[in-house]
Amino acid sequence: MILEMKNIVKTYGRVVANDNVSIDLNEGEILAIVGENGAGKSTIMKILYGLEKPDSGEIYVKGKKVVFNSPSDAMKMGIGMVQQHFMLFPPMTVTENIVYNNEQRKYGFLDKKKNIEKVRELSEKYGLDVDPEAIIRDCSVGTQQRVEILKTLYQNADTIIFDEPSAVLTPGEVDDLLKTMKNLAKAGKSLIIITHKLNEVMEVADRVVVMRAGVVVGRVDKTDTSTEELSYMMIGRQLMNLDIKPVETGRTLLSVSGLTMGSESGKKVLNDVNLHVDEGEIVGIAGVSGNGQSELIRCITGLEREYEGKVLVDGHDVSNKTVDVVRKAGLSYIPEDRYLWGSATEASLSDNLLMGEEDSQAFSKNGILNQKTIDRHADQLIKEYKVKVDTYSQKMKELSGGNAQKIICAREVERDVPLTIACEPTRGIDIGAMEFVHERLVNKKENKGGVLLVSSELSEILKLSDRIYVMFEGHLNHEFRHGEIDDRKLGIMMLGGEINE
Amino acid sequence: MIISWTYISAIISSTFRACSPILLCSLAAAMCSKTGVFNVAMEGCMMLSAFFSIVVNYYTHGNVILSILAGILTSMIVSGILAFFIIKLKASPVIAGMAINTMSNGITIYLMYVFFGRKGLFQDPSLVGLTKVTPFFSKSLPELASCFYGLTYVDYLSWILAIAVYVFLYKTVIGYRLRAIGINKEAARSLGTPVEKYQFLTMTCSGILCGLAGVLLSMGSVTLFIQNISSGKGYIAMTANNLGASHPIGVAAASLFFGICQSVGSFLQQTSLKGQITGAIPYVATILASIVSSIYVKAKKENKIKQALKAQETKS
Repeated sequence: MILEMKNIVKTYGRVVANDNVSIDLNEGEILAIVGENGAGKSTIMKILYGLEKPDSGEIYVKGKKVVFNSPSDAMKMGIGMVQQHFMLFPPMTVTENIVYNNEQRKYGFLDKKKNIEKVRELSEKYGLDVDPEAIIRDCSVGTQQRVEILKTLYQNADTIIFDEPSAVLTPGEVDDLLKTMKNLAKAGKSLIIITHKLNEVMEVADRVVVMRAGVVVGRVDKTDTSTEELSYMMIGRQLMNLDIKPVETGRTLLSVSGLTMGSESGKKVLNDVNLHVDEGEIVGIAGVSGNGQSELIRCITGLEREYEGKVLVDGHDVSNKTVDVVRKAGLSYIPEDRYLWGSATEASLSDNLLMGEEDSQAFSKNGILNQKTIDRHADQLIKEYKVKVDTYSQKMKELSGGNAQKIICAREVERDVPLTIACEPTRGIDIGAMEFVHERLVNKKENKGGVLLVSSELSEILKLSDRIYVMFEGHLNHEFRHGEIDDRKLGIMMLGGEINE
Repeated sequence: MIISWTYISAIISSTFRACSPILLCSLAAAMCSKTGVFNVAMEGCMMLSAFFSIVVNYYTHGNVILSILAGILTSMIVSGILAFFIIKLKASPVIAGMAINTMSNGITIYLMYVFFGRKGLFQDPSLVGLTKVTPFFSKSLPELASCFYGLTYVDYLSWILAIAVYVFLYKTVIGYRLRAIGINKEAARSLGTPVEKYQFLTMTCSGILCGLAGVLLSMGSVTLFIQNISSGKGYIAMTANNLGASHPIGVAAASLFFGICQSVGSFLQQTSLKGQITGAIPYVATILASIVSSIYVKAKKENKIKQALKAQETKS
């Protein structure tokens, strides 16, 4: 046994994040820790990596009791972590990123050649293909992740923690990653993977630890379990099967034609984009992130106004108009980053639920807010969306990711406008909350609304969309109806490939 | 007005003299911003250093070395206090820095009265300034040598330091770690770098540079202390740091530009132009340079986009 965590307890205020959690890891093994958001799986790994201190409990590495005060303590004991949000220096080279804090040096100067050589050696040894002299900023997300893995290997880690490693990758890159993980295990490294994607667990893991609400609710060998059993353990109930009926379509709610936009890096980020969303439709845009989806949505919603082309919202021409005009024309918007764009983290829940509507007749009169109706409105939405909160006056940042997303969805989906744009509406939230958000989006379309769904989660697109556009390098290349295409073919087209039947 | 070589060489030498304090301060600013700390207190550090170097100069009856050390030490202590406020106590760098700048003006006026019983200006025959260096080619090429007239060894040192800061930041291991902290503090922390310690030390050491600048003000071309002796040079250095994109070489070029503005400004005072106008030249130049550079950066960005669009159109 290379690693053992015994009876770890960690509380944040009144919340118990880890309650008597014990985890052990054998050499050359891949252990998956699965659970919903807020189940405590990130907390236990932060404790293992020295980012957090446990209230009680013990950690043993190779049979020796250890206390970690910082990540460097953990690193010294051979524990490395590939974080979900990469910890890189974008303007620097691959080599400079990998050797940081343990550089090959000559009289205090950086020995460039020797460092590059070291990185090349390591990359060949583990079959992790990188160009040591490339600038990180110009590398693909998959390469950046390989750099993160190489970083841990460079520090001689023999236990590597992967935190939601596939969240940012394309389907092809995920395959590569899983292969890499298996290779590392074969080379004698011990791996822990934190995830809520059960198909990946079934593919690479040897053993699975399931967590729910801060406690371990199951320990199983992969061979003895199934995705169904795991998901049941994770959320403590069976998943509902969402019943999606096609709805008769009506008038066009959103029409985009000839949308083109350039960028400073010298390429067209949007190239003659044409699309429409009708009443009673959920329209999905599938694509690897970074192919112009964000820019397209920024143009439609008015956050970006320097573009060519026409945007019509519910029949009104809103091309190059400001956000306010676009929203008033009949559009609501769930942004992809719920903290950066979607909400004000320091503001109360009722304020967050009001945002964008503060000057409407219902909530204010002559510029004075009517707090009573605002609170009543907040109360109603929170109940309807089953958001777990103490009071509606608590701060947005105190909510977990899933609950914060529910607040934003409640505000945007329930706005009295026909069209909702939903960007990554379920990114990083647990299955329960995801199910709920899906249900509300379907509900919107059934009530004669329209939804434009942008997501890097293919299963979400395939499940919800009546029509699917495939976006590649700033252009919508293909259009399909529900059921016409599967995830494998969609994956190929997202990378610019063609299907020859 | 007759334009002669004497005139031009005098402008050149005064450019160098005006440039050095700005260069030293903007190097300090560059080091700090490369490490991810925003330092606006160069003005205050410089002024306090100028004052205390004169104080020590007076009480040691003209010991120049001790005076320089006093100036450097003062500036390091002040920078250290500022670093403590910004990095440890998480104070706003602008507010903390401005507090030091405003306070240093008041403190020097008050202490000048306490120490010397003077108001506004302190000058004494016992004060000894920095030694002026005569170029080794002054005999063989007197015309060229006159361009370097009146420069002290600290003026020369400032240019050596510009190169030294460049080598330090871009070639050494520590410099590389510092730059990495400036790019992504959290990433550096996750690799076990004591980020706050590095930032604190960088800021404190940047005080050495501001300290030298202060010594130059009170013991360089003239040897005296006058109220508000730095007269906004610290802010000009901030702009120089900005224009030079915090790169030591760029910063040196920007400082030289401001040095030219200052010396041209003071030479035009001898003409029929009004003193208020000539005196404003360095500051107007600062504002104009900031405006022009931001317009230039924006235009470059837009131009790039336009060209990209055109290139795509001709392709398709």
